[in-house]
Amino acid sequence: MRVEIQINNSASPGASFVSWAPSPCRIRITDPTGAILPIVPIQLRSASAATAGAVRFRSGTAGAFADTLTLQVPANGTSVSFFTAGRFGRPSSSNGDVRIEARAGTTLIGSVPLMVRVRKNANTLSAAERDRFVAAFAKLNNQGTGRFTDFRDMHTNVSSPQAHGAPGFLPWHRAYLLDLERELQAIDPSIALPYWRFDQASPNIFTLDFLGVSDNLGTVHFSPNNPLQFWRTDGVQGINRRPFFSTAQAPPGLRNETNTLGLGTGYAAFRTLEGNPHGTAHTSFGGSISSIGTAARDPLFFLLHCNVDRLWAKWQRRNGRFNPALAASYDTSPANPIGHRLPDTMWPWNGITGGQRPPTAPGGPMAASALVSAPGPQPIVQSSLDYQGSVNAASRLGFDYDDVEFA
Amino acid sequence: MVGEAAGDPDRHGQLLELLREEHPFYNDRGTASTVRMRGWILATLARIGLPDDALLFVLEELDTGVDPYLVAAAARALRSYPAPRAAFAPLVMGALANIRYRDERVSFESYGAYAVGLNGTTPVAELLATLTWLGPHARAILPDLEALRHGGGVARKYAAQLDAAVAAIAAGDLSGEECCTLPRGLGAMLSWPLGTRRSDDAVAQIVLEDHDGNEIAFDELFRGHVSIVVFFYTRCDNPFKCSLTIAKLARVQQRLEERGLLDQIQTAAITYDPAFDVAERLRTYGRERGLRLDAHHRMLRAPCGLDALRRHLQLGVNFVESLVNRHRVEAYIFDRQGRVAASFQRLRWNEDEIVARAVEVMPERKITFPMVGTLSSLALAFFPKCAACWIAYLSMFGIAGLSQIPYSPWLKPAFAILLLLNAATVWLRGRATHRMTGFYLVSAGALALLSTLQFDWKSAAVAGVVLTMAGSFVSAWRRPVRASAATRTA
Amino acid sequence: MTTKRKAPAKGAKATKRTASRSKNALAGRAAMAVATSPKRTVKQRVAAIAETPLTICESDKDLQAMLNLLRDRNEPIAVRLAALQSLQAASFSVIAFEACRGDYIATLREVVDDPDPELRQRVLGLLAREKDGFAQKKLIDGLEHPERALVPPEKALQLLAYDVHAEAYAVARDVIRNPPNEDSRREALRLLSADATAAPIFEKLLGDKNELAEIRQLSASALQALRPEKLQTQAREILLDASDYDEIKATSLTALTQFGNEESVANDVELRNRVDEMAATASPNVKQSARRFVDRYSK
Repeated sequence: MRVEIQINNSASPGASFVSWAPSPCRIRITDPTGAILPIVPIQLRSASAATAGAVRFRSGTAGAFADTLTLQVPANGTSVSFFTAGRFGRPSSSNGDVRIEARAGTTLIGSVPLMVRVRKNANTLSAAERDRFVAAFAKLNNQGTGRFTDFRDMHTNVSSPQAHGAPGFLPWHRAYLLDLERELQAIDPSIALPYWRFDQASPNIFTLDFLGVSDNLGTVHFSPNNPLQFWRTDGVQGINRRPFFSTAQAPPGLRNETNTLGLGTGYAAFRTLEGNPHGTAHTSFGGSISSIGTAARDPLFFLLHCNVDRLWAKWQRRNGRFNPALAASYDTSPANPIGHRLPDTMWPWNGITGGQRPPTAPGGPMAASALVSAPGPQPIVQSSLDYQGSVNAASRLGFDYDDVEFA
Repeated sequence: MVGEAAGDPDRHGQLLELLREEHPFYNDRGTASTVRMRGWILATLARIGLPDDALLFVLEELDTGVDPYLVAAAARALRSYPAPRAAFAPLVMGALANIRYRDERVSFESYGAYAVGLNGTTPVAELLATLTWLGPHARAILPDLEALRHGGGVARKYAAQLDAAVAAIAAGDLSGEECCTLPRGLGAMLSWPLGTRRSDDAVAQIVLEDHDGNEIAFDELFRGHVSIVVFFYTRCDNPFKCSLTIAKLARVQQRLEERGLLDQIQTAAITYDPAFDVAERLRTYGRERGLRLDAHHRMLRAPCGLDALRRHLQLGVNFVESLVNRHRVEAYIFDRQGRVAASFQRLRWNEDEIVARAVEVMPERKITFPMVGTLSSLALAFFPKCAACWIAYLSMFGIAGLSQIPYSPWLKPAFAILLLLNAATVWLRGRATHRMTGFYLVSAGALALLSTLQFDWKSAAVAGVVLTMAGSFVSAWRRPVRASAATRTA
Repeated sequence: MTTKRKAPAKGAKATKRTASRSKNALAGRAAMAVATSPKRTVKQRVAAIAETPLTICESDKDLQAMLNLLRDRNEPIAVRLAALQSLQAASFSVIAFEACRGDYIATLREVVDDPDPELRQRVLGLLAREKDGFAQKKLIDGLEHPERALVPPEKALQLLAYDVHAEAYAVARDVIRNPPNEDSRREALRLLSADATAAPIFEKLLGDKNELAEIRQLSASALQALRPEKLQTQAREILLDASDYDEIKATSLTALTQFGNEESVANDVELRNRVDEMAATASPNVKQSARRFVDRYSK
């Protein structure tokens, strides 16, 4: 007897990625040889090394997850649905390091490798994870000719009103990071964007093999093995970044995570994190990252914003702020400028130019995902809120943070 | 130099020359220096009065400018134009939207001065002052201005100026004035009728390399097709120029596709920066802006021929080392012989207008030149009326053997048909150039000559020849005509 | 599963927003009071400045107070730098900062020649990233007349490189010919790498074994952007040259692994054999990049 298991209801290996939020899956018997009864009980379990990812299961859209799940699967090949999710605290470190095994009795009748892919603290990545990320990022930049140019062009002085100084700051950047991450995953699907936990010392990020070591001038140096040595933006090579602090410590003056999460239970209060710690993190350096028009030239920018997004995710989890219909989930002032109201499409993915939008819209629509259909090619502000699909499963965006559990 | 030219009315033309990007004055100057120089010239024009010839340079800065100094200078200069016009209002309003988040203090106290400390003026202040100057002529943008005012759209410190502008615009009623179209002669499109176009021989053999690295000579690419050609470069940091130009070219391609013209009208984007914009860069830049790339639609560089192209087309560009320091928005329509039939300069061109113009150039054929009409009219007027006259005419020419050709009365209607065909082509040319005088003359001449087929009116024959000849030449030898600029889109 | 909740009344929302803004404004006022008080310690004042909200532009008084802190040479430098950082952070909120920007830029220009070198450097950096002509003029002037320099030459060159359209190429070439120090030469070369016609300079530097490793690494990167086919050729020569240095070999391997022409590298038997050897026997740095190369081209 053999079975086929599909993760995210897809046979494509490109869809074999899960996070903490439940992913819809299905199983069917492809070869019923040996089946005595029309319905076969099949047990699913997670198999992996102790240091690898692990998954859990449940049969429906509600209820607790368990380490194993027994399904009654018809021998005639009809699919049976179930849900799987990464076991919180057990993310994968490489693609396919965890398998879902299906057993009929004690006989293994099928298995599928998958990855519990979540965004991690950049300071604690393994060397392999770091190297894969850096290689993919350098490839996306492609010495200034790659798709990264679009991401750089999305974050300029001209476009900044679309994404800053108003409530859409967090949703816009969440969509921005998601688009970038999906492009990186098109190069290497094992990658999730890591975050720079800026309120903690992160010496492993500022190394020759990762995001580089700055000299006194602010010129960033890389190891000869590091492909980021070929980084080029705006026609100029290299990265300028001069920390005003020792990279063995956290930047001073930053609002820490506890205080950030305590800014308030309503979105209007919480979003003041745009000033501190977000703005303070940016301006803890001299160099590209410290000015809005040039910040996206530095790859560190994306790890900085990944942490800002993680703080938002954590705040959402703590306060139950995933539902856009809940007033405290967002700041819905009628005075909000275009692109900052819940039903507004977001530039540049909406392709709208001129008038109150910038003159061009680089990058085209939002990158698609093999895992989920949200947020669609032209995301609206609202689509950034329910990123785990906890209010509406169809809203799931396909990413999670290592330390933010599924709600 | 600028001060001296400003002080002498006979030298004011020099100031206009200094506004051309390609002027040697700007050679090897950085962009920041170029901005200072141009802004100072505009500020000088603001003091001495803005002539018609300089208007387009000012409007250009309002339309696509991103530098506070230049935008402020342009807004100031516009106020010294003899009379406000409704067509200026959308451009001033657009400039306000473009520059408001880059507002900063600027100084026009002396050449090269920067505002240090809390003195000087700002582009937003200058633009608001210009809106006040426009007064009721700016009626069309009043709703936008009021929305800005109520929505907290500009900084509080401009509240009084904003109120003054709104009040000035709301006072008075000029509803009869046509909004948004610049008067003839002040627009951004130049047009060259057939017969006046410069041959492309100077650039015919330039080798171009396209987005896939394929090499092709200029004449091989452009002869045989009507083409829409724009210029750009990938390191342009003005989002209203190159990036937008390529995005708009993609929209032009969509228009062509909708009309089934993708194989008949080519598009080409040529870089000002051929050393840096190699094939892969061109390809990526174009694709990221939705450009279609194939054998009829290319992105190109001229590795060794940019200087020749610059001279031939008189491109509005200059350089510091190999980097562009400043360029104008420019788009061209080439006819089937690779000659410039029309150009759109400085202001952002309209996709529909450019496609329409290219379509107009499409039916032009080489045979439409004035001699055909003239010879046909002569032949018809003096066609021999009998066989003996025929022999006498041919003997008069003394060409051996011609007298042996039998009397061929069928030639008469043939010449009449040629005459009518000539009239038809003159009509087409007249439509393209918006000048129908030549057609009227040719039509009158044709009527006169055709009447001689029925009646033997010698005076009608002579008049017919003269009118046809005059009409054909008038039609062919028009100076380039500046058409009105299209309405700016939001 | 969607959970529907009743939205609060509009009036209640607006009231909450107003209350929040007032709270913000009060907090900002309190923070500015501490920041500008000479009776407080520097540490207290710096901490207070860090607490000022993004909405500083809503109050002309607060904005001018912050700008005054920045420009006042009698204030402790830590307070002035904190004021600069606070304004800089606020500038990220472009919509909210609209009212401030003009005065902010003008004040930055005012302090470019401040006695404090750190403040000068930061302010010039901010202006250079805005492609400010005033700052560019000062930087170029300092390179041409060192006695008037506001920052070291290597810093001036680094800042000028933010704008590829700056008039800095001539002075960069001068520095390359007569460098005051190695850092200046390196930054001048980096600046020059924006000029595509400078590719031959980088070709020559990359091939020169007597050059510093970091100059050759920079040259490789410049060449990869300007003439990728040249770098492919030179990288290959470097790898086949047993006498060349490990750092540049590692860089060459990285270049070919990331950006190499798949077909030509895959068919280059001599190169692949050489790299296979390196993957087994070379120094750790070279071995690592050799293994990545082998991984890529064995697929």
